[in-house]
Amino acid sequence: MIEYRTSGFNPYATKYSPFFDSRLAVCAGANFGLVGNGRLYILNLTSNGIVCEKYFETQDCLFDTAWSEQHENQLLTAGGDGSIKLFDIGVGEFPVAGWQEHGREVFSVHWGLVEKSRFLSSSWDGTVKIWNPERKESLMTLPVHSCVYSAQFSPHHPDIVTCVSRDSHLRVYDLRSKASAQNHMTLAIPIHAPPKLPVAGYGQGSVGPTECLTHDWNKYRDSVLATAGVDGVIRTFDLRNPSGPVNLLTGHEYAVRKLSWSPHLSDVLLSASYDMTCRVWTDGSNVEQGGSGAGFGRELGRMDAHTEFAMGVDWCLFGAEGWCATCAWDERVLVWDVREYMRPN
Amino acid sequence: MAAQRLSSIVSQLTPTTGQNPLSKITSKNPDDVVITLAIRTPLTKGGKGGLKDTPLDGLVFKILEQVVRKSRIDPQMVEDICLGNVSDAKAAYYVRAACLAAGFPNTTAASSVNRFCSSGLKAVQDIANQIITGSIEIGVAVGAEHMSTGGDRLTRPFVDEIVNANQDAADCLQPMGQTSENVGKDFNISREQQDRYAAESYRRAEAAQKSGWFDDEITPITVKVDGKDVTLTRDEGIRPGTTYEGLSKIRPAFPDYGDRSTGGNSSQVTDGAAAILLMKRSKALELNQPILAKFVGATVAGLAPRIMGIGPSIAVPKLLTKFGLTMDDIDVVELNEAFASMAVYCKDTLKIPYEKMNPRGGAIALGHPLGCTGARQICTGLSECRRRKAKILLTTMCIGTGMGMAGLFVNEQV
Repeated sequence: MIEYRTSGFNPYATKYSPFFDSRLAVCAGANFGLVGNGRLYILNLTSNGIVCEKYFETQDCLFDTAWSEQHENQLLTAGGDGSIKLFDIGVGEFPVAGWQEHGREVFSVHWGLVEKSRFLSSSWDGTVKIWNPERKESLMTLPVHSCVYSAQFSPHHPDIVTCVSRDSHLRVYDLRSKASAQNHMTLAIPIHAPPKLPVAGYGQGSVGPTECLTHDWNKYRDSVLATAGVDGVIRTFDLRNPSGPVNLLTGHEYAVRKLSWSPHLSDVLLSASYDMTCRVWTDGSNVEQGGSGAGFGRELGRMDAHTEFAMGVDWCLFGAEGWCATCAWDERVLVWDVREYMRPN
Repeated sequence: MAAQRLSSIVSQLTPTTGQNPLSKITSKNPDDVVITLAIRTPLTKGGKGGLKDTPLDGLVFKILEQVVRKSRIDPQMVEDICLGNVSDAKAAYYVRAACLAAGFPNTTAASSVNRFCSSGLKAVQDIANQIITGSIEIGVAVGAEHMSTGGDRLTRPFVDEIVNANQDAADCLQPMGQTSENVGKDFNISREQQDRYAAESYRRAEAAQKSGWFDDEITPITVKVDGKDVTLTRDEGIRPGTTYEGLSKIRPAFPDYGDRSTGGNSSQVTDGAAAILLMKRSKALELNQPILAKFVGATVAGLAPRIMGIGPSIAVPKLLTKFGLTMDDIDVVELNEAFASMAVYCKDTLKIPYEKMNPRGGAIALGHPLGCTGARQICTGLSECRRRKAKILLTTMCIGTGMGMAGLFVNEQV
């Protein structure tokens, strides 16, 4: 396990560069992000451990970061003051572009993975905005009317956007649809709906609505998503049958802050939680590898070296399949191999 | 701003099991049973009022016609109709034929239930329970009573084995007036207290009627009275200008048993009907039905038949405890005023602030069509919640032969 300390700043998110196999970005805020400056660290994994190549300072805390899919040295930050900034690693200490449209804290930014000329942002002001880095104003604003903690472009279709929000709903938008009163929304799925298969200890009815803090698209199955939030339960949904979650992965004792499906294995997920653990799960769908079928997921292992709320996870795309980076409010970024923490069946 | 970020993180830490009881019952979930229509006919005087010539089947037919008209729901989607009625042994025939005539297809089923004065609420509970367990998706609960026809008393005493078994069983023979006098004597509710309570009920009902508060509960119906078509729009039981002095002069109604309950401080003999349309919240959203309220739950409790009037004082705490609530959490209480004796006792024992309880008067002024009351209280209570912009409604009534029932609702049209 390799470690980096972001002294004086508490990390909120970490992302591997899609271009370089040893480059990592971490965004953080002073005083747990409640008040004070923000910092964007550009880290390199070398044979001497993790080295900070550069860092950028911002006025307010940074809640999320996303690498550009078009330019190998550029990345975005989501700021607590409602601003989105584009930094270039090779260019000075100030952002090369900035956008200030959101009325409140921006909680997530995500770059389009198929249509790489666009990115999106989501904010506490209850909107998701679509942007083009070359334009000064947003292309589109999708109203959600509830604090949107996480929004993403689908990795499979260029015009599908999903978001999860405080009102316990997962919303799917199709940007190709006509402008109408629905504002491109095609589905609004209540996350707290009862699961399709009974889960031990969970009862048959729906639980109350809970804030949803994070979600992620599966990288192999184009209609599968996972969401997680304050009730500590990770739910997977299949958009072909959206009335309720397919899987309920229970185990975390506090809210789950971040989820990430593996880019290598279609059934493996990583989660970071306020209970200070990062856990690996399978959703059971990989029947050849011993899974019992979608709907029968289980925990594969956990890493509890963090000593504060775990806030961010990201898988490394290159090299050996199990490496990942996690960051937590203990001012540490840890890079580790998931396979070392998997428990036998 | 920092304070808001901090409180948002703190609220993410509170596990859902620590939610307070009020937010649990007011939370909106797709599986909640919700009310999308709550209507009632005017309440008319038994024997001489506007509905005297409309027997039970005609009355149920009229209210179901209004359900079809006002709900704009496709009648085919209603799977079951439950009629709460006390006096008529043929109620099940009537509701079935009436629903077929009113526009429901023969694929809509019907049944009747009888738990005396709570039959209307029991009908709501019956439909709600079927929806919760998945037996049906959409149902209508009706409460209706044609007291002009009579038939609510026993025609013969119970068999000897029952009467001689124990006091409670024998006490089931007691007429309601006797139980009211028992309550008045056992719990020291004086004639004056009862008359003052009744005067206030009349005053509140008169004020409500004059202010037009009943307009959004009542659905006018056209019926035949003495052969002529008449459209009924107003409750007839309210006697304007009723005073305590006037009530105190009325002779006792049950002199064999006591001298405190009179025709003036007891519920009136009345005809009327009310209907409630229920389905799951997810279904209501799918069909674009307006969601008036959420049905949270109901429960029944038994007690000694000879003092049946105090039923609410047992049923209400039982219901509130089930949901972890107190009387402070309730905004409006509809407590059936079978007699002023039990109304005063229950109000004082349950410590209900009088301004929350029966703000539009109760059965003393409006009337108590036995099976209708349970559903009528929901219409009145929800209308009052809307007027006050309040949320939590508690309905309750005593039940002849010694029971009490209570129901809990959340008004969602604030």
